[in-house]
Amino acid sequence: MRLRTAFAVGLLGLAAWSVLRAQKPFKEWPAIEYADFPLPGDYRDRHEWTRARLRYTDVYGYPDHCCLYYGRSFPGYWTMDFPRSDRHLLEGVRRLTRIDTKSVEQVVTLDGSDDVYNWPMLYAVEVGHWQLGDSEASQLRDFLLRGGFLMVDDFHGEVPYHGVYNEWQVFLTSMNKVFPDRLIEDISDRDPIFHTLWDLDDRFQVPGSANYFETGLTYEAGETGKVPHWRGIRDDKGRVMVAICHNMDLGDGWENSDDPKYSEKWSNLAYRVGINYFMYDLTH
Amino acid sequence: MFEFFFKYPASVFSKGSIVLAGGWPVWLLIVAILAAGAALAYFVRRNAESSVRVKGGRSAVVWVLQTLLAAVLLLLLWHPALSVATLRPQQNIVAVVVDDSSSMAVDDAGSGSRKNAAVNVLNSGLVKQLQERFQVRLYKLSDHLDRLEAYDKGGLDKLTAAGTATHIGDSLKQVLADAASLPIGAVVLLSDGADNSGGIDLETISEVRRQRIPVHTIGFGREKMAHDVELTGVETPARALPDSRLSATVTFHQHGYAGGKAKIFIRDGGKVLAAHDITFKADGVEQTENILYNAGPVGVKAIEVAIDPLPGEENSRNNKMVQMVNVDKRTPRILYMEGEPRWEFKFLRRAVEDDRSIHLVTILRTTQNKIYVQDEHGDAPKNIKDGFPTRVEDLFEFDGLILGSVDAPYFTANQQEMMKQFVDRRGGGLLFLGGREALADGGYARSVLNEVLPVKLPDRKNTFVRDPATAELTAQGRDSLITRIEEDPQKNVERWKKLPYMMNFQDAGQPKPGAVVLVDALPTSVGKFPLLTIQNYGRGRTAVFATAGSWRWQMLQPVADKSHEMFYSQLLRWLVNDTPRRLMVSTPKQMLNDETLVKLRADVRDKAFLAAADATVEAHVLGDGVAETVEMRPDALDAGVYTAEWTIPKSGSYVVEVTAKRGAEDLGRDVLTFRRDDGVAENFHVEQNRELLEKLSSETGGKYYKPEDAKKLGKDINYSEAGITVRETRDLWDMPAIFLFLLMLRSGEWLLRRKWGVI
Repeated sequence: MRLRTAFAVGLLGLAAWSVLRAQKPFKEWPAIEYADFPLPGDYRDRHEWTRARLRYTDVYGYPDHCCLYYGRSFPGYWTMDFPRSDRHLLEGVRRLTRIDTKSVEQVVTLDGSDDVYNWPMLYAVEVGHWQLGDSEASQLRDFLLRGGFLMVDDFHGEVPYHGVYNEWQVFLTSMNKVFPDRLIEDISDRDPIFHTLWDLDDRFQVPGSANYFETGLTYEAGETGKVPHWRGIRDDKGRVMVAICHNMDLGDGWENSDDPKYSEKWSNLAYRVGINYFMYDLTH
Repeated sequence: MFEFFFKYPASVFSKGSIVLAGGWPVWLLIVAILAAGAALAYFVRRNAESSVRVKGGRSAVVWVLQTLLAAVLLLLLWHPALSVATLRPQQNIVAVVVDDSSSMAVDDAGSGSRKNAAVNVLNSGLVKQLQERFQVRLYKLSDHLDRLEAYDKGGLDKLTAAGTATHIGDSLKQVLADAASLPIGAVVLLSDGADNSGGIDLETISEVRRQRIPVHTIGFGREKMAHDVELTGVETPARALPDSRLSATVTFHQHGYAGGKAKIFIRDGGKVLAAHDITFKADGVEQTENILYNAGPVGVKAIEVAIDPLPGEENSRNNKMVQMVNVDKRTPRILYMEGEPRWEFKFLRRAVEDDRSIHLVTILRTTQNKIYVQDEHGDAPKNIKDGFPTRVEDLFEFDGLILGSVDAPYFTANQQEMMKQFVDRRGGGLLFLGGREALADGGYARSVLNEVLPVKLPDRKNTFVRDPATAELTAQGRDSLITRIEEDPQKNVERWKKLPYMMNFQDAGQPKPGAVVLVDALPTSVGKFPLLTIQNYGRGRTAVFATAGSWRWQMLQPVADKSHEMFYSQLLRWLVNDTPRRLMVSTPKQMLNDETLVKLRADVRDKAFLAAADATVEAHVLGDGVAETVEMRPDALDAGVYTAEWTIPKSGSYVVEVTAKRGAEDLGRDVLTFRRDDGVAENFHVEQNRELLEKLSSETGGKYYKPEDAKKLGKDINYSEAGITVRETRDLWDMPAIFLFLLMLRSGEWLLRRKWGVI
């Protein structure tokens, strides 16, 4: 009898595990700019929504064949602004909308597991440095066609930046793997994505904080980085499924929203754009 | 044998009454019997004193036997007789009614067709026998009664066995009408009893009994076919949305193919819509199968359900049936009110976006004070941009309503009452989704909407749980079209088990009486909860889908998988498919097989869906060379309901457009199609319905005969109380049975005395 009971309990446990294995729990990650960033008290609480952050393979070989970074393992370009930017953003989402959001982001990897499909709103930063492998590109395509949404941000110019990488070209190389046959187009001001919550006809460049503090310029990567581009890739129904924020740094807008040196208007727009995108995703 | 012993046939005894014709009073007979008994008692007792062998019980037995003998002899002195009404010779008419429907052409009577067998019975002496005492009128019966020429003038030659239907009851009524002016003493019906008007109604039977006309029946044809498959019924919705998945419930039975296999086909104009394998059960057992098929594009469909003829089948014309299905060109509107931006909202919208038969209008609370309205088709009421409707007319523009994670207090009391009336009076569908502000957690237990919910909400909060849960079909869910995401029922059950787990579930409570749980949620934590519960309420229907996590069925399955889309499309179509419009026309039968009268019923409502009892309602019928307008009259009992009957002039398809007006106000219009097919009904139920014929005879004082016994009819038919009769008194004293009885009494006593040694 005991053996039978143990067997039943084991089976039940196995079933529960197999159900849950597809969804990975929250985890902290080392980042380029921040270490030991405090966790909010409610970070374990379960909520309807959070914005996931894509942990991708980058041009420097992260995560498998990478270098040292200030004497430690390079955390990857995907961790730019992380997690301060994420936490600020989510607090804004919670305060400004009725979205029932977690207080912390979820880091997801295109590793072939089902985890990414549990987080349909995905954000990737510094995509001028990503280098998606074939399997990553394939899974990202699958994710998007099933109904996921990808917002990319913080990459600049269409010529080599600091003589190293043409970030637009690097972005395109991976994006073309994801969708070889879909056009990247400018999103018009009339598109619903700019009107779901706030009417954002009047948009401007949101600068990266480091560059702005250092140079006083709102743009990066020379002349080709001067004009902010609000671009997108649409699905078969004409909905934006990849929102491309080129020549701007909305991540810094969220990250520095509590920094008095960084203009409030930039953070304000960063929040509005981000939340409009999230709202668009949840309604389209 | 009976007649040998009792002198007369049993039917004479059943129709007559026994009388004492001697003229002496009955009390005198009783006194005489008592006196005889007393005298015999005295003598038996005196003899017993002198005899040792006949004492006590033996003397009592002797007394009984002798008293019985004396009593019978005394009875005979009083002249017992049978008083019976008989038809006066040559003054009465016997109506001989021959079934001339096409089922009488079936060649299973041994000597050719049933019709020939009937003619043979009449020709082989029965008519002559009848003519000796009566006038004989010949009739032929099909969907009506026709009189034939006299027998001697070849009346029977006019029988063709080509009638398109058998209406025995209606035909008997016509005979009764003749009987009002003619001395019809009896009816002889020669038929296979294959009536296809739904049997003989009680009214007709009562009328026959009232006129005391015995109906004698002679049955023809086999009572069971040796090899036959027969469809006995097909039920499928009369109206559908384009590309809907429909269910046809097919009933059938067979003889001679038990254990065999066949296919049921559903066709539309020759195109096979579905094929379903079946295995026949035992002979004569009624089988039922549910078959799914796609309604296809807009149009009127004559859906044919058929089992292709099997080898050796005797009657293959009863293997198919046709039903009309109107695939309406309409796009019901559904209003989805959501209280918070969430995945379920996004993926539900996407799930039905390709369903061209549903217009989904959504209102989403994006912030505390803002809403986001999406009306891609632009056909919602204009003020929907201001939020959830506040006027009945605006809300009732929709056919269905979905409430997401939006708490009850968000709505005013008036809005909540409007939603209740939306279901109850308007007949719309209301779907409640799970969520942190839905159902019990949204305060609906204290709302007027609690009454329309198909579940009894728990009396507590925190019923929405963010624990994973899988879905499992219940027994009812296995049969439901809403949950059918695989054609094959068993595969469908397995498919549901393999669906990705839902992100959460809600304890919605237990189903109310009359509600049906189609799917259960099985959380990984503990327990089992109703996930999808449905019920009808008032004129409409309500459902609870107690989760906000079914979106994983889309994200966690391959792009090509359509189970998520199919489920929501079917759920929302169920929600609105039967939602009535302001004017709805219907008929009990859209397919009229050998019937000529179509009954129309229109339900007319105003903008608030209150019964419009003062409307002018007209039905405009169009057919091949037919264009007629029929005024529909208000029903005396049902306000807002108008009815009309119209005689279909010939077979074919007809379209009826019903319009309703109240003054200058247009109350709407609706279109319905129906079809009359002739020569179909006789293909079904072709076995001899002996039960019906026997019942008809016994109820009317007649008798059922097999063809070989029909000669006896000539004698039996004399005794009737209909027509011109005379009451005859028939002696009974000389019945052989009485003499045998007397002989038995005497010989019995003699044998006993011999046994006792007295003799």
